[in-house]
Amino acid sequence: MAEKPPPKPISPQDWESLVEDFQHGDSRREKWRSLSPSVVELALSSILKKEFPFKIPLIIFLEEFSDLLFPPNSLSSLLERLVETLRVLVQSPIDGIHVTYALKEQMMVSMTSILISTNAVESVEARLTESVVELLLVVINRPNHGPDRHARAIACECLRELEKAYPCLLSDIAGHLWSLCQSERTHASQSYILLFTTVIHSIVNRKLNVSVLNTSVPLVPFNIPQWVSGSEKEGLLELNYKELRRAMAFLLEWPQVLTPCGMMVFMGMIMPLAVDLDLQPSMLKVQFFWMIYSFDPLLYHVVLIMYSRFSEAFNDQETEIVGRLLLFSLELQQYLVFRLLSVHWLMGFLNGLMVNGEDAEKKKSVVETGFRLYPSVFDPLSLKTLKLDLLAFCSVCIDSLKPQTVSDMIVGDGNSVVKLFQDGLVSVSAFKWMPPWSTETAVAFHTFHKFLIGASSHSDDDPSTTTALMESAIFNHLKGMLVDLILEFQRLVPVIVAFIDRLLGCQKHLWLGERLLQTIDANLHPRVVIDYRLVSYFPIFDRIAENQTIPPRRLLELLTKFMAFLVEKHGPGTGVKSWSRGSKVLGICRTMLTHHQSSRLFLGLSRLLAFTCLYFPDLEVRDHARIYLRMLICVPGMKLRGMLNLGEQLLGISPSSHSGSFFSAPSPRHYPDVKKSKNISSYIHLERMTPLLVKQSWSLSLLPLGVGSGKPDFSGGFKDTEATTDERDLDANIQFQTISEDERIDKPEAPLYVMDSKVSEILEILRRHFSCIPDFKHMPGLKVNIPCYLRFESETFNHVWGGESSKNGLHGVDALPAIYATVLNFSSLAQYGSIPSCHIPFLLGQPPMSGYLPGETDSLDIIAKHDDSGEEEIYKAPVMIELEPREPTPGVVDVFIETNGEDGQIITGQLQSIMVGIEDLFLKAIAPPDIREDVLPDYYSNLFNALWDACGTTSNTGRETFPLKNGKGFAAVNGTRSVKLLEIPTDSLIHATERYLIPFVVSVSGERLVNMVKDRGIITDIIWKDDDSGLLLDSITSVTSQDTTPLYLTFVDNEDEQESRLNISKRSMGCIHVLIFLPPKFHLLFQMEVSDASTLVRIRTDHWPCLAYIDDYLEALFLS
Amino acid sequence: MAGDCSIRALWILNNLDAVVFSRRFPVVEKRWRAACHSENESSGDDPVKYNVFSSLPSDLELAAAFADRKTREGSVRGFGIRVSQSKEGSDSWVDDPITRHIVGFYLNREEEGENNLLWPLALHIKGPYCILILPLVEPKHVKAYARLCKRSDCGNAVMADEKLSSLLLDLPSITGAFMVAYAIGEIVTGDVAEPEVVVSQSPSVGGLLDSLTGSIGISGISRAKPIAAPVASSAPSGAAAVGALAPDVPKSGSRLLDKDALRSFISSAMPFGTPLDLSYSNIFSIKANGFSSLDIPPQDLKQPAWKPYLYKGKQRLLFTIHETLHAAMYDRDEIPDSLSVSGQINCRAELEGLPDVSFPLKGVSTSKIEVLSFHPCSQVPEQNVDKQALMFSPPLGNFVLMRYQATCSLGPPVKGFYQLSMVSEDEGAFLFKLHLMQGYKSPLTMEFCNVTMPFPRRKILSLDGTPSAGTVSNTEHSVEWKIITSGRGLSGKSIEATFPGTVRFSPWQTPRSTSFRSVLEGTTDDDSDNEIENTNNMVNTEEFLMEKMNEDLPPVDLEEPFSWLAYNYAKVSFKIVGASVSGISIDPKSVSIYPTVKAPVELSSQVTSGDYILWNTLGKCPSAVNAKV
Repeated sequence: MAEKPPPKPISPQDWESLVEDFQHGDSRREKWRSLSPSVVELALSSILKKEFPFKIPLIIFLEEFSDLLFPPNSLSSLLERLVETLRVLVQSPIDGIHVTYALKEQMMVSMTSILISTNAVESVEARLTESVVELLLVVINRPNHGPDRHARAIACECLRELEKAYPCLLSDIAGHLWSLCQSERTHASQSYILLFTTVIHSIVNRKLNVSVLNTSVPLVPFNIPQWVSGSEKEGLLELNYKELRRAMAFLLEWPQVLTPCGMMVFMGMIMPLAVDLDLQPSMLKVQFFWMIYSFDPLLYHVVLIMYSRFSEAFNDQETEIVGRLLLFSLELQQYLVFRLLSVHWLMGFLNGLMVNGEDAEKKKSVVETGFRLYPSVFDPLSLKTLKLDLLAFCSVCIDSLKPQTVSDMIVGDGNSVVKLFQDGLVSVSAFKWMPPWSTETAVAFHTFHKFLIGASSHSDDDPSTTTALMESAIFNHLKGMLVDLILEFQRLVPVIVAFIDRLLGCQKHLWLGERLLQTIDANLHPRVVIDYRLVSYFPIFDRIAENQTIPPRRLLELLTKFMAFLVEKHGPGTGVKSWSRGSKVLGICRTMLTHHQSSRLFLGLSRLLAFTCLYFPDLEVRDHARIYLRMLICVPGMKLRGMLNLGEQLLGISPSSHSGSFFSAPSPRHYPDVKKSKNISSYIHLERMTPLLVKQSWSLSLLPLGVGSGKPDFSGGFKDTEATTDERDLDANIQFQTISEDERIDKPEAPLYVMDSKVSEILEILRRHFSCIPDFKHMPGLKVNIPCYLRFESETFNHVWGGESSKNGLHGVDALPAIYATVLNFSSLAQYGSIPSCHIPFLLGQPPMSGYLPGETDSLDIIAKHDDSGEEEIYKAPVMIELEPREPTPGVVDVFIETNGEDGQIITGQLQSIMVGIEDLFLKAIAPPDIREDVLPDYYSNLFNALWDACGTTSNTGRETFPLKNGKGFAAVNGTRSVKLLEIPTDSLIHATERYLIPFVVSVSGERLVNMVKDRGIITDIIWKDDDSGLLLDSITSVTSQDTTPLYLTFVDNEDEQESRLNISKRSMGCIHVLIFLPPKFHLLFQMEVSDASTLVRIRTDHWPCLAYIDDYLEALFLS
Repeated sequence: MAGDCSIRALWILNNLDAVVFSRRFPVVEKRWRAACHSENESSGDDPVKYNVFSSLPSDLELAAAFADRKTREGSVRGFGIRVSQSKEGSDSWVDDPITRHIVGFYLNREEEGENNLLWPLALHIKGPYCILILPLVEPKHVKAYARLCKRSDCGNAVMADEKLSSLLLDLPSITGAFMVAYAIGEIVTGDVAEPEVVVSQSPSVGGLLDSLTGSIGISGISRAKPIAAPVASSAPSGAAAVGALAPDVPKSGSRLLDKDALRSFISSAMPFGTPLDLSYSNIFSIKANGFSSLDIPPQDLKQPAWKPYLYKGKQRLLFTIHETLHAAMYDRDEIPDSLSVSGQINCRAELEGLPDVSFPLKGVSTSKIEVLSFHPCSQVPEQNVDKQALMFSPPLGNFVLMRYQATCSLGPPVKGFYQLSMVSEDEGAFLFKLHLMQGYKSPLTMEFCNVTMPFPRRKILSLDGTPSAGTVSNTEHSVEWKIITSGRGLSGKSIEATFPGTVRFSPWQTPRSTSFRSVLEGTTDDDSDNEIENTNNMVNTEEFLMEKMNEDLPPVDLEEPFSWLAYNYAKVSFKIVGASVSGISIDPKSVSIYPTVKAPVELSSQVTSGDYILWNTLGKCPSAVNAKV
């Protein structure tokens, strides 16, 4: 500290403030460190001044802070100055004003104290100590001298302290001290006696062979004996027992001259001496037992200590000691603290007695005395408390003695403990009607606790069994009493809850609390009246709800009834009331959710919640009930508990505020962490449930820049004249545009071409078909669903986000991280319309692959059972991507995730995109609603034929338009054909068809093929055409007449192959007809001509771009 | 050193939580450090090692720790028993009311880590001061206590291996610390209580100083004259708590601390921290008077340490039997009345030399004496309590020779009933019917008798009614009925007094102080269902009123017997002279002094009322079951 040293203290006031600074501590003390000359030197010179009124406090100050004021480096010189000052003071005559006895005494005391605390004997020259001892010896060596008797007493005390600090310091001159002690007759004799006793004590303690009668060593000059410095071996020497016993006999003569304090010091030394010198303890008893009749607490305590040392000597005095202790506590004149202490001593005493292996009969009689100590009316509550503790203690003692003796005592059997308890409790019985915060209540419950846990201690090796305690009368009485209390005095509920909490918080007595709750649960529900006052029981219900040992059924029933009551009572005046009660009930439900297995609750709780959702008058309560209900249904147990527990749970806070905190916006510290969110696609995966056959890496889009921009100018010349500005007019770019109404007006209603019956039949079928297709321009279009799974990897997730549960040391499923309230947003460049986002309330992370430890399987099983799903499923959330295609083209759907981690972090980012393949867009053609089930196959077959025909190049329907559903839009069929040869065996073909195309097969023809397919029994409900020729004929007619030959020519480009084709054709087994509807309104038709080794697929479609994908698709489908 | 008592340090704090006086005893501290050192060495890897705090705090640190505990424990003394606010590691966690007296501090010192428990501190609140005494115990005891107050379970069972009781039994230094605390308490407040001894000529005589100076008193010694009888608990604690929370805080006072007196007391009573004599009067006489060469020690005897001076002058022997009568009068069939006497015999022996005095106690066998305990100067031969002969070597000045508890052999001096019924919420009709001194014969004289009806929580507007005897007056919160006024003693006859009347109060106002309410409930009940519901169910106004008033009943201190405010009662105060009511007595003629001197023996008796309560027969009342063994 750079502070300049403070001015030197001169006046008493200066010194006083200096002393205060030192006492105060801290920096105020520090500043005096730098004073020069040092504080001690200044102080000593002040003390030597003749007229200085602050001498004594200054000396005390030096003493008190000797460890600070006497630094080791200057210790020697400072001490020398101090000794000099002492000598001057002691030797100067008393004038009554400046030099008083008080000053001399204080100087001696402080000098001694400083010598001892600085350990002067060892740290500086021994001569200093010797000279001080000499000075003191000179003072005391004037026995019976009148005026300075008190100073002599003080000098004796100084010597005694030195002797205590350096045992055997004065043993050489013990003889002198004894004779001084014998001759001193003033009140100072106590100090002489104590000094001599101390010397004897250290001689015996050090086993020093010196004569205590010998006065050959002169008193002065004094030399420190060499054994003080510790060089001499201890413990090997023989004690001079004879002399020492004589000295003891002398000392024991004088106890009555000692003050109670002096007696305490004296006995503290005499007791070990008596042991070391083999004195009869009974002698001590005779000499000192009377002290128990004194009202001085110190003397009392001395006797108790004496008993604990020599209990065998006081063999029959136990009852008397206990009796005296009892009476001591009754003495109204005593200070309260001593009355309290005496009850403690009594308990300590009895405890010691019980521990010692005395005979039970005696113990019993001693302990029974304790029953006399009932609380009385005017006893302070603290004393009442302790007396009740004592009653509990004694009853436990007696109980523990019972097995060994025939029990005939009052407190022997269980009932009497109850009686004892009841009687004792009368003194604080006001707790029943007083407010719950009253001190009486606190005392009463303190007593319940003592009686309840009784003999069972908290040590692990406690022998008392739970059953013994459970069966005890006091426990049964108490639990009954608590139930009665709850029913009768509702204001006590919080206190009882606190009481049970206390037991529940204790490892050892947890079961007691649980048992109490069970009792309350069993007895309260039938007896309680359902009205508004039920709310006061909610704290108890909360505990019951928390406890897993109590089946929640009864409570749920009661709460359901209460909810019904609330609903019933609801009226204009009860708005807030209903809200508050309802929220509280939900609070309990929440507690249950957090503490019980969902399966255990499910029935009762879902009923209660459903009832609340439906009927409860308050909206917020209904809302919360709905949330809870949904959670109960959706989220698996452990995670649900974790979710509900997030907030700090405080007693007594209305549950609505809980839920508020859970469902409100996350606290501001949780900003989306952009950095962390960067790579989430590497561990959060959205995957197709069924992989695409074709790993499509491209997509044909006729207008790549169309998506997302609703601006009409992108559509350019292709734009329909009547195009609206909504995004659907992008469709105008598609070649196969629906014909708008204007166009229809331009066009003749009935086109001019020859219409035969077949064509009209076809048209009829097509009209019917198209009228079933919704027009997405005017109504919700057809949807295509792509089932996916969302999953994420725990390990990587935890690594990035530091999952909370993994830190908590949970195992199994509970250790896995979870994400909450996940929202998946989709967008695509392809023409899929707007894709609705997906919400996943909860998802558990996938355990690491190696993480299936045997211990975890249990919990997995439980979870699996709850969710009614496979083990794997719990880590995957099903997601359905719902597309509303404007055009049946494959595409890519981009996925954006927004979710919350367990710690509330917001996780956002883009996941791997989802590929949409052409097969995803395959739909079964819509059947008209009025068609009968059994004629459906016929319908499809006819539709196939009609479309096949319509898509032919020379179709008669080419210019026909067909109105779509609701009549506003129209469609035209403009067919394209293609063909594909697949070189695969029949078996594989059928197999692949069965696997992937089953919904779309409309008919199978050809006897061989039919038999083959039919026998497998997988493809059903289609048209079977056994008539091979008929079919062929039918097909041939159409084929030959129109396109068979050109098709062959088209495809066959070398001569060799042509041969084989023909062969194939000849060996044809039959045909499979497949009708695929491509939303929004297109079709894809396959006619698969099956042969043994290859299959020829004829393809027709009214949406030519799809052919681009079909080739790949068919190859993947059949050839892979 | 077991059985010893040493003080490491003591502090006196004022009501602003600032240290006004402190004293440390380096010699004792050195022993503590040595003990800590060896303890730490012996218990190498004891996990509780950190609990031993090795050095003393400065005044500043102590004051901080004191304030800290006060906050933690709710008040200076603390909760005492474990309540919901109790924190682990705090005193009330131990769940024992004595922790309101024996307290532990946590010192906030960073460099010491966690080893900062300072225990045990004997706490004594006297006047505006809190006196804290830190006795020397062994480190293992501190550790044991630390384990007690940091245990995580539900609280100690009665049969536990480690319990506070055993600890306290092993630690006489705590007992000694309290003795020191009380002695210092008397000095700092200046009210050194001395037993009252009444003589026929002058009402009372003083203590040791008077016997030295011939009842003149020495000027320049600032000490209060002993005025009242020191029967500490006889103060009417109930009536004192008028309408307020019973104080658990030091009262404010303006008297400055006499540091010099304190210093000189300490340097004589316990120069090195070990108390040698705590008698203030002895020490003060020595300091004030010193000794002259004329003070010659006795020739063949040792002068006891508790008698530094020998009396010189006219010899006489004075005894005063002082009894305090406590009663709970119920006038009900199911609860028996209880009446108990706590008495003491005060003595003043103005005798030269070191004589022994002996006398037989009269009436010990006839009256049911429950407790007898004696001054240390008396020699009680073993098992001779019932022989009723007492021998003692009297100290100088006034002293309490013996104390006893007894039942009242004469029956209650004031007997009858008190009924109070609330006619409406603000009006009560009451009736007293009392018998005074029934069966009391001369020379027993009742000097005065007052009956007080305290209504600490209500404001009295008016009072109607005339008693059959005596006068009536009322203050804002109480009605006082003086049946017998001083000067007109009642002797040799009994009287009957009745007092019917009505008392009107100003309407009950709920003092919305939720401080104590929230203590237990945490939050106030927002919808207060109970009140609404209860209104309908209430049988009568009285119960309703009771219920309403109880809503705001503050919790009392553990030092109170019960919540006085919750009850309606009348308190009787009286003084009876002439004889004891327990039947105990001394025959002046049979008092013998050895060596024989002629000294007149004077005996006086007085009986005063302690808590003498007539419970409202129509209301609630506290009671207790008496032991039947």
